[in-house]
Amino acid sequence: MHEVSIAQSILDTAVAECLRADFRRINSISLRIGRSSGVNIPSLVTAFDIVKADTIAAGATLVCEEVPVRGHCLDCNSDFDAESELITSCPACNGARFRICGGRELDIMEIDVD
Amino acid sequence: MKLRIVKRLLEANERIAEENRRLLRENGVFTINLMSAPGAGKTSLLVRTIEALMDKVSIGVIEGDITGTDDAERIDALGVPVVQLNTEGACHLDAGMIREALEDIPLGGIELLFIENVGNLVCPAEFNVGEDVKAMVLSVTEGDDKPLKYPLMFKESGVLVINKTDLLPHTDVDMDKIRRSALSINPGLRIFEVSCRTGTGLTEWTDYLGALSVGTGMY
Ligand SMILES: Nc1nc2c(ncn2[C@@H]2O[C@H](COP(=O)(O)OP(=O)(O)OP(=O)(O)O)[C@@H](O)[C@H]2O)c(=O)[nH]1
Ligand SMILES: [Mg+2]
Ligand SMILES: [Zn+2]
Repeated sequence: MHEVSIAQSILDTAVAECLRADFRRINSISLRIGRSSGVNIPSLVTAFDIVKADTIAAGATLVCEEVPVRGHCLDCNSDFDAESELITSCPACNGARFRICGGRELDIMEIDVD
Repeated sequence: MKLRIVKRLLEANERIAEENRRLLRENGVFTINLMSAPGAGKTSLLVRTIEALMDKVSIGVIEGDITGTDDAERIDALGVPVVQLNTEGACHLDAGMIREALEDIPLGGIELLFIENVGNLVCPAEFNVGEDVKAMVLSVTEGDDKPLKYPLMFKESGVLVINKTDLLPHTDVDMDKIRRSALSINPGLRIFEVSCRTGTGLTEWTDYLGALSVGTGMY
């Protein structure tokens, strides 16, 4: 699955930021991962453990926070959380006019470095 | 110590996809990202499409495969420009890979560019590569439960080509169920039923391609 290439880009981004700020070692990387980002967290962690070998992140752990799919209903004006993007109606009023406005996040929030 | 950096990773792909899109538009290229499960008939559909359109439209192809050059050789035999991308294990094409492939394709001479994605019903749908439209192929032998089991690709695609209709007598699939469930996920989906073996339904598909690219200089 595509978790290997995502793990690689997390690693590349974190290493670049670490070196840019003149640090030498990455201890942990905190991520926000949307429920509909298509990223499987256990697979991502496994993939990261493989790609981090022999880098300044060799001892680093991934701290993953999963965030729900977020929607906003144009009929009743409510904001809601959902299990997936593939809902067909607003959970509050059953209306069909709503927007999905979150849930695809794949963000690095912070890295812990020495 | 903690460094707060806040980097959006998928945005990196989006940014490159946007650059690709701009480059393709500037060159008057209309681009179709062709996706499906392994073996649904992407390359067969490309061969048929190229045979039907190559006298009227200049076509180019980027072939994405995990490994090997078989598909690119099938296209090369028709005499259209083709670049083979090997993803070395990755299960989808991303915008960065397409950016590299675009350097090897004579964009100025191409009106219609097909990108054949890696055979996979899930991951390719998550990555824009700079295409104008995503088209997916579903073969009837995969079963009529696929739209509801693998909804993302049906949701992201503008076009669904249902292939291998010549095999319908040998299956128990309900074509109506495929249509209904695909449209419930994506009401705007354009659906074609074809057989790349017999040629049935292919004229509607190639006519559609012609109409799609009106205004980009095709035809
Ligand atoms: N009966 C029948 N067989 C077909 C049809 N279209 C393709 N095939 C066969 O299906 C097999 C796979 O076709 P391809 O075109 O290679 O499929 P693909 O999607 O490009 O496959 P990958 O690139 O490996 O993912 C081949 O043996 C084709 O001859 C069709 O309409 N009917
Ligand atoms: Mg193929
Ligand atoms: Zn509502």
